[in-house]
Amino acid sequence: MIHIQELSIQYNTPTGQVTALDHLTLSLGPHENWGVAGESGSGKTSLALSLLGLIEPPHQVTGKIQTAWGDLNNFSSNELKRWRWREMALVFQNALEVLNPVMPVGRQVTEPLRESQGISSREVAAEARRLLSLVGLETHWESAYPHQLSGGMRQRVLLAMALACEPKWLVLDEPTSSLDSLSHQAYLNTLQELQQSLGFAMMLISHDLTVIRQMTDQTLILYGGRGVEQAPTASLFRSPSHPYTAGLFNAATDLFPYKDLWGIPERVEKEVTDSCGEAGVSDEVYGSDHSGCLFFKRCTQSRISCREKPPMLQMIEEQHLVACHQGGLQKVLVGRQLSKSYQMGSRKIDALHPTSLYLRHGETTALVGPSGSGKSTLAGLLAGWISADNGEIIFQGEPLKGREAARREQGIQLVLQDPFSALSHRLTVRQAVLEPLKINGIGSRDTQEKRLVDAMKALGLRADESFLNRYCSSLSGGQCQRVAIARSLVMRPRVLIADEITAMLDVSTQANMLRLLKGLQNSQGFTLLLVTHDLNLARKCADRIWVLSQGNLVEEGTAHEVLVES
Amino acid sequence: MDKRKTVGRLLTLWVILTLNFALPRLMPGDPFLHMSGESGDVFTTYTREQADYYRHYYGLDEPLIRQYGHYWWGMIKGDLGYSYAFKQPVSEMILRRLPWTLLITTGALLLSLAAGTLLGAWSAWKGSRWQDSLFYTGFMVISEIPAFLVGLALLVTLAAGKNWFPLSGAKTHFMVYENWWQQMGDIGRHAVLPILTLGLTRTGGIYLLVRNSLRTVLTKDYIRTAKAKGLRHRILMVHHALRNAMIPLVTRVAMQLGTLMGGAVLAENVFQYPGLGTLMSRAVTARDFPLLQGVFLVMTLGVLSANWLADWLYQQVDPRLKKNHARRQKGGVS
Repeated sequence: MIHIQELSIQYNTPTGQVTALDHLTLSLGPHENWGVAGESGSGKTSLALSLLGLIEPPHQVTGKIQTAWGDLNNFSSNELKRWRWREMALVFQNALEVLNPVMPVGRQVTEPLRESQGISSREVAAEARRLLSLVGLETHWESAYPHQLSGGMRQRVLLAMALACEPKWLVLDEPTSSLDSLSHQAYLNTLQELQQSLGFAMMLISHDLTVIRQMTDQTLILYGGRGVEQAPTASLFRSPSHPYTAGLFNAATDLFPYKDLWGIPERVEKEVTDSCGEAGVSDEVYGSDHSGCLFFKRCTQSRISCREKPPMLQMIEEQHLVACHQGGLQKVLVGRQLSKSYQMGSRKIDALHPTSLYLRHGETTALVGPSGSGKSTLAGLLAGWISADNGEIIFQGEPLKGREAARREQGIQLVLQDPFSALSHRLTVRQAVLEPLKINGIGSRDTQEKRLVDAMKALGLRADESFLNRYCSSLSGGQCQRVAIARSLVMRPRVLIADEITAMLDVSTQANMLRLLKGLQNSQGFTLLLVTHDLNLARKCADRIWVLSQGNLVEEGTAHEVLVES
Repeated sequence: MDKRKTVGRLLTLWVILTLNFALPRLMPGDPFLHMSGESGDVFTTYTREQADYYRHYYGLDEPLIRQYGHYWWGMIKGDLGYSYAFKQPVSEMILRRLPWTLLITTGALLLSLAAGTLLGAWSAWKGSRWQDSLFYTGFMVISEIPAFLVGLALLVTLAAGKNWFPLSGAKTHFMVYENWWQQMGDIGRHAVLPILTLGLTRTGGIYLLVRNSLRTVLTKDYIRTAKAKGLRHRILMVHHALRNAMIPLVTRVAMQLGTLMGGAVLAENVFQYPGLGTLMSRAVTARDFPLLQGVFLVMTLGVLSANWLADWLYQQVDPRLKKNHARRQKGGVS
């Protein structure tokens, strides 16, 4: 076992101190494969270097790395020499100059052997050829110089070099980033075979999440040098719980190949609420001079209190640790054992059998199923528009009472399939959009006007007087639907339930509409429940899919699980 | 070797040889007004008839183009001509002097290489500690002092002042050696000061180059790789760091051979060392065209061939430049 305790790394550069790793605690088991992921600059490579004692003054390492021989940070230089490569080896990130340009690669591979075990030079040469063939390179490459190798071959040489002394631990720093997809898979296969025959434990550092999913048992997500999420790989990929992890997954192209791509915004434009619900956006709030959560300004569910102190890793499920003041992505809306039946004369129709489900903050969930499967009923129940026969709905930790959540800000809004009937044709656009604010008496006149303009702009509608004074009856289908959505957005909802909102639109308008909504969600962080019968649409937009059939929830999972793996 | 390089080199050779022909003839003065023996002797003054006779005798009254033709023909035959002043074949004179110049230049080169590399490596390894700053500043200053000044200083202190070393010459005159090591010792003692003079002024440049090159190399990824492999310090420094840092040194040393020659001329004159340098200064005072041309020729050929050697050597020490290694992989980066 290697216990990393409160490990911090500080680089002292002429321009100031940079903290690369901040109080990281981690235990590496002897036969475990760990994956470490995070954006560039999150401290991944620094962690790898510190495990070989390669961070040297003037840079500072504090904390402990407890090995079988004691704390690595207190090793004498001799212990360190014996530890390096013999106990723990590192496959460096591939770059041209990672290998000595003037020494044949065969010699570089076996160099550590020459020193340690006093074997003859003929044996060393034979060993070089054996190691190269082990990683799938032809033996004549031993006399080649690094510049004569392709990137993929160099990657294999690096692996052969790391295995020269048969280490117990192997750290791989971005092993696949320089490979094309074919050699990428071949490399991982080689790695797996070698692990089976040599039995080393691995730490795999990569920004490529598919590699981590394929190769590792445990995953650590780093952000700004802090561990933000740590869990068994399967569990992490099933439900990424830190807002950052979720964002990382959304930004991964190959994790969900069909899904649309969304990066994590550099700064979330939203009103940060404190615990009393008071809102305010200012640069002061976004300033980085606080000791709180590092992800604060990019997080869509942060509160003012998140700035007060750094979040600690806490367990939210078995073995699943998240460092978030909100306990990871909140389950904003939870339905428990909801059921609903309608009375048609003497016949009782079960529209929805007891069903439980949840929506997480900032996620897009698709509720799919054929018509008549109970989708709209469930949507209505969740919005509080229909009352359930049985079961309860919890919204942000409190039971939902009737339509109360639809009447207030930061609540739940429902947008319906048919915009023409949703908007009164006698109202002007301005009246229609401001209606919920006026009825519920929210905000002053100025605030209302401002929100109106913001919402119109966000949805790509004109905000000038001539348009605002048009009657809803004179709008096209697409415009009408956008006005209906604008009417929901002025209430700044936490949950937006969209019931077949694109059903009446043409394909192009549908695409525009959904991109608008996803964009707004990405920057404002509301939860989106997309009720649809269109599977392709769900695949493109949703993080999580629930499948309804004849009033029963028959399947649920990430979009990938539901649509690809089944 | 590729064609362009060969043509370039031949062209350089032609330009130099032509300059060699032209330069003495552009000098003011006339060889036959200065024809004399060793300095200090009574000058022989020629009458106009005599001078014309000699001019005719040595072919100097012929048109320049014919002289140029003779010059080339002589060189091709390996005949460097006959010294006007010393009445000896030039090639014989040069051959007698050449070993002495080679002795002090090689000595100085080796001295500066050894000292410069060792100190440079040590300085780079010390990083930005005071030892490094001290040596850095010290060598910056030393490398700017002209060789003859250093020579004079050494002469005044170590030879004239302390009497540790002889003042001039390459060996003690009229001495009969009992055995060969006595002879070696005598020659060595005479060579110390010229070698020191030349070597000291070279060391600065080499020190700076090794230090800077090594400091750059020490930040490279492959040094970190070597460290991670748990290699011994000596292996790390020699095989990974120095081996890479020496690459620019090879060219630098070769490029400096020209200035080393120039330095040798000055140093030899300071110490009256019987090498090519003193021979050259004699030839200049006497306007002895054939001798002057001969000395120039040998020196430039020496420098040129050293440059070519460096070119070749550079490819040997840096495998990235080797042409005969066909690029087997398209993805290879040079």
